[in-house]
Amino acid sequence: MSIRITKPLGAALVGAGMTLSATASAQEPIQIGAIYILSGVGSTYGEFAQNGANLAIDEINEDGGVLDRPLEITFEDSQLEAQTAIQAMRKLVYQDGVDVLMGLDSSGVATGVVPVVPEVETPFIITHAATPDATGKLCNQWTYRNSVNIPQNIKGAAIMAEESGANSWTTVGPDYAFGHQSWEYFQRYLGELNPDATFSDEPSFPAFGTEDFTPFINTVMSAQPDGVFLSIWGSDLVNFTRQANDLGFFDEDFEVLMSLGAATEVLSALGEQMPTGITVGTRYWYGAYDNEMNKAFVEAYRERHETPPSYNAQNAYSAVYAYKAAIEKAGEVDKVAIRDALKGMSYQAPMGEVRFREGDNQALVAPTYGTTAEDPDSELRMLDPQRTFAAEDVTPPLSETGCNLGG
Amino acid sequence: MESFIAALMNSLALGMLLFLIAIGLNIIFGVLNIINFAHGALYMLGAYITYTVAVLTGVSFWIALFAAPLIVAAIAVVIERVMLHRIYDRPITDSLLLTFALLLIIDETVRWIWGSTIHVVDPPVSLSGTVRLLGVQQPIYGLFVIAMGLIVGLGLWGFFSGTRAGKVMRAAAIDRKMSRLVGIDVPLVFTGVFALGAGIAGFGGAIAAPIRAISPAMGGNIIVESFIVVVIGGLGSFPGAFLGALVLGAINGFGSRYLPDLNLVMPFLGMALVLLLKPHGLMGRSTS
Repeated sequence: MSIRITKPLGAALVGAGMTLSATASAQEPIQIGAIYILSGVGSTYGEFAQNGANLAIDEINEDGGVLDRPLEITFEDSQLEAQTAIQAMRKLVYQDGVDVLMGLDSSGVATGVVPVVPEVETPFIITHAATPDATGKLCNQWTYRNSVNIPQNIKGAAIMAEESGANSWTTVGPDYAFGHQSWEYFQRYLGELNPDATFSDEPSFPAFGTEDFTPFINTVMSAQPDGVFLSIWGSDLVNFTRQANDLGFFDEDFEVLMSLGAATEVLSALGEQMPTGITVGTRYWYGAYDNEMNKAFVEAYRERHETPPSYNAQNAYSAVYAYKAAIEKAGEVDKVAIRDALKGMSYQAPMGEVRFREGDNQALVAPTYGTTAEDPDSELRMLDPQRTFAAEDVTPPLSETGCNLGG
Repeated sequence: MESFIAALMNSLALGMLLFLIAIGLNIIFGVLNIINFAHGALYMLGAYITYTVAVLTGVSFWIALFAAPLIVAAIAVVIERVMLHRIYDRPITDSLLLTFALLLIIDETVRWIWGSTIHVVDPPVSLSGTVRLLGVQQPIYGLFVIAMGLIVGLGLWGFFSGTRAGKVMRAAAIDRKMSRLVGIDVPLVFTGVFALGAGIAGFGGAIAAPIRAISPAMGGNIIVESFIVVVIGGLGSFPGAFLGALVLGAINGFGSRYLPDLNLVMPFLGMALVLLLKPHGLMGRSTS
């Protein structure tokens, strides 16, 4: 009801504005709406995303903007709730009149938001949430993802696990979709690569936000598998690692493989408490890409925030550049035109050239894995050796995604 | 046997940390009749102050252990004088709303001051590492947590049963009007009780700092667990908080070890079971 009233009113106001200042309208900013976790648990991720997006926007605006128009961004807090994020999305579109949307940290939130995106008819780039469903069974023509998803991340883990030679595996992962899906993909992919691999039928899934992991650490230590796969992340991983250090977990005779252990927020917090010689992965590693854009990005980010950029910062930074590329390709900011411009589009990001795959709108990107090592020049553990996978080696074929938007 | 002893020691350490949080919650409820939603935020504040004193300014963990509860108690005095003392005679829902607002304010202030990133505090060298005890490797810090819980528990018991100030607090809890008539400065006592409860929460935060990742909203989980402790043990009961903390510690320590699939629901199952058998909690008195 309120939409019917405000739409003509808004049009009249915009019309009046245009006649009043026909020259100024060329300068009217292009509006980006962004939805991240900005409070409470996980607000680290929102802060990183803000840092990344703001940096890209400042760079682009200093350079004259896009189509001679500056970029402007409005952030909304998802509060880690799908309903809140959906309301934020509607507010950004209908009230703030944003041209494009980006964001989403949590897979649970993404699962709620993605089906509603076609309703607001605004292109949405997911920059963090990793559930395969967002570009899988829930996919739609308005939703894109420029970041590494669970299958891509875990395929890398499975390849590392296969090469480690360990056969019997167990897991400790957070007790929600992410932990369970990570373990499912790990079993499937490692099972394909190594038919001898066996998987514990008693994996541990502590509640997300568990503070004391001691019982779960003891369970793994007394089970003595060949390898343990950890999908715990963020402050949970910080807690786990410190408690595991105390109990001698990392001195045991099994392989330790963390799918998100190389996230900079974890490495920064742990410093020298991060054990060396274990295999860790991340969805973007700032030292892994030898290109000009990455060099400039890492330098500019360090200058502003005194730390290397996290994967979440890169993803948000990269999404802003994806919009820029789409606007330039379309020659306009019209939402349908941008949606179609993004389709199959390639653009330059710190991660290198990124392409949105036609058929599911998932970016062809890949994780970096490496072995934690001491570095006298850094308070963070470095990855040495490190290995960045090729997207085609880790991205599941379109036929397996459950999505087909037409190629 | 070894895994049993490991789980037992882990349960005790978990329980003693929970006790440090829940006892303050219980004291505040017992005397002021306020369910303090912001209690977890005060615990978090204790951890952040410890991080600031021990890491940022590099003074020492041991100084932080004293500074954190004192600073949190001082903040609590301000909170009680400015906000809480106005609502003691109002329905309990008002105090729930007010302390919930307080929780949000403290959370945002913490984020504003210290940022969103994860911080850690190293335990002092003398408490690092493990020691072999009863045939299993025990983290020394876990033993320290158990000792601190017992010392605070005994200290509070001595305070409430043996000192004049403690008796005055109990008197004010039982009958405000009569206390006022016999010349007790009830508003002052209430300020003192809130500061005491908050100070213990701050102490809990300081104790937790070397073993917990410090990040915004770290009080969120612990407050839920503390409420479970208080419900299991009996609202307002001192020994109840102790017993409830041990029970929940055991549910977490043993349950996660031997029934990992149920680790999410076990605390709630335990609480439901206790409530079915003893509606007022294990040590709760019937108020009817």
